[in-house]
Amino acid sequence: MVADASQTPERAGPLAIDIVDVTKMYAGRVHALQGVSMQVGRGEIFGLLGPNGAGKSTLVKIMTTIVRPTTATGTILGAPIGHRPTLARVGYLPEHHRFPQYLTGRQCVEFFGAMSLMRRADRKRRAAEMLEVVGMRSWGDRRVGTYSKGMQQRTGLAAALVNDPQLVILDEPTDGVDPVGRREIRDLLVRMRDDGRTVFLNSHLLSEVELVCDRVAIMLKGKVERQGSLHELTHESRRWKITVEGPMPAWVAEFGAAAVDRGRTSVEFKTEDLARVQSCIDRLRAEGLVIVGITETRESLEDLFMRLVRDVDGRVAAVGAGNVNTTMRGAR
Amino acid sequence: MNGADGQALPRLSAADYFVQTWGVLVAAYRELNARKLFWVALVLNGLVIAAMAAVGVDEKGVSVFGFDLPIPLVNTTTYPDGKLYKFIFVGLGVGVWLAWLSTILALLSTASMFPDLASGGVDTMLSKPIGRTRLFVTKFVSGLLFTAVQVTVFALLGFLVIGIRGGSWEWGLFVVVPLMVVFFSYLFSVQAVVGMITRSPIASVIVTLLFWIFVFLVDAGERFTMVGVISARLEIAGIEARMEKVEDEERKSGFTKRRDDRLETLPNWELAHDIFYAVKTALPKTSETAGLTTRALALTTEMPVDEEEQQVDEQERRRRGLFRSEFVSPRKFEAAINQEYESRNVWWVVGTSLGFVGVMLGVGVWYFRRRDF
Repeated sequence: MVADASQTPERAGPLAIDIVDVTKMYAGRVHALQGVSMQVGRGEIFGLLGPNGAGKSTLVKIMTTIVRPTTATGTILGAPIGHRPTLARVGYLPEHHRFPQYLTGRQCVEFFGAMSLMRRADRKRRAAEMLEVVGMRSWGDRRVGTYSKGMQQRTGLAAALVNDPQLVILDEPTDGVDPVGRREIRDLLVRMRDDGRTVFLNSHLLSEVELVCDRVAIMLKGKVERQGSLHELTHESRRWKITVEGPMPAWVAEFGAAAVDRGRTSVEFKTEDLARVQSCIDRLRAEGLVIVGITETRESLEDLFMRLVRDVDGRVAAVGAGNVNTTMRGAR
Repeated sequence: MNGADGQALPRLSAADYFVQTWGVLVAAYRELNARKLFWVALVLNGLVIAAMAAVGVDEKGVSVFGFDLPIPLVNTTTYPDGKLYKFIFVGLGVGVWLAWLSTILALLSTASMFPDLASGGVDTMLSKPIGRTRLFVTKFVSGLLFTAVQVTVFALLGFLVIGIRGGSWEWGLFVVVPLMVVFFSYLFSVQAVVGMITRSPIASVIVTLLFWIFVFLVDAGERFTMVGVISARLEIAGIEARMEKVEDEERKSGFTKRRDDRLETLPNWELAHDIFYAVKTALPKTSETAGLTTRALALTTEMPVDEEEQQVDEQERRRRGLFRSEFVSPRKFEAAINQEYESRNVWWVVGTSLGFVGVMLGVGVWYFRRRDF
């Protein structure tokens, strides 16, 4: 299912990212993006998920003018995509970035401050602050070429934030960072959101996205398959599981529960109608059964992601098979 | 342009442009500082000037490190006002060091600038509010810093040596700075475009050196055919002048035949020269640009000679060489060639070469703007 483009972010106000029908065809007719539409509200952490080759990085690069779209309309921070002065209010940390090895961490951060139109005094002050924030203050005056991968990532984060951006686009920000650093970066993202900034997080790490993101989009094969809040996306998979002491009576099926095997002690309800679940509980108690647990279960982001990947792969396989059959029929 | 809320969007100011451009230039300077070749070239600059300073000249003759050299006719009488040092500066310093060795070092040192720009390092830059055209051109200008710094140091040291050792404070020497920066820009423009397209520093250096050789060959071809044209014209004029003095009909008809032979070959020389000249016009004129220093310093290339030896020498020179002639003196011939060269407009030399740089930058910018990273 392709997500409804009209789905709007929960938070009110002008959108930080509002893109419609973005397509990108690379040479050799490689269709990297096939009509992507996406809305990200201000002051939220938005996660972009997808397997390798889904088109996530291409989409991010189009938003940051690194890749030219085949077609695209929409706005970033209220200005058309590619509007240069607006880019001064955007911070971007690319995946596998390579900063000038001959600069020190501080010079590097200040350099990107200058590229973001910051005046000298401001960028010096902000560079010092950001190096402190990412835990690189004591390494700031050493050359980037001497840094470990995690340190380069932290410096990259400082460079992305030096211009005090309203929108921060981070492509795999915790790549190469140790667990403590990951936690610090997650905390930093939350602080930025609390300050009213928008964070656009492109990551493979589903658990990380699940921990910090308010809304997510899942991209598969150049299309947005789903987008919305974690609640919205996993809502339809919500189930209520009731566990009793002893065997579960067969009559629970009358309340809309899934079929119960003989001898099982629990039953699951896949329903929005909580009154029916409540009635079932009442009857279980009335019949003297001891309820040992009532839990709400729903798909994890990872489960949802894997299911979508399988669904799309299945669709592609079906279409492929259809094409083969058609071809074979045509050949007869 | 209005934003989504209907309000006018801001534009970049001149101060914004300056902040970014200055930032790129400062980073480029730091990049040069980090390269060993930059410092090697700087030390070599000092050594070339030190070698020049080691030469002493007085009214008796020339010495090196205080040891007299048996070079006739070179003293402060024949070379007054530090002229010998200026010759060394232009001939060895500019002609050999700056125009060849230092340029090769500069090409090697800046080889990775554009391949780096076209590969992993460009993502973050392109996400900033700097247009690709401006980024490419600013990067190109920052690459010229290598030569600008090197030549400025070289000219400053040369200025001091000529002033202290030769007693002539020649401010005109500093013309070498813009000239050599322009000279380097011809080759660097090729290197920038090749580096951008191939993303390979090695490929960009090799292609640039091959291009330089091609330019050199075209220049040599143009010079050769120009000498052929001048030789033929002078020979025809010389034969006709001789014919007027000859009464003997048989000798006269011999001269006529020789003149007609030359008249027959002249159009071929002219056609060949026109072709080379047209190709050369479209290409950067490296050797002529370097040669402008001589013109700027008003140095003649003629060496003082002993008149007696000159007569002997002329007789000898008339008998050898591809363009030998019994009708034209070698000195007159050389003077005609020099005059032809010096009559060439500076704007033709530099202007058309900068036109080439402009075309190359246009190609580079076009490619850079179209490319996805």
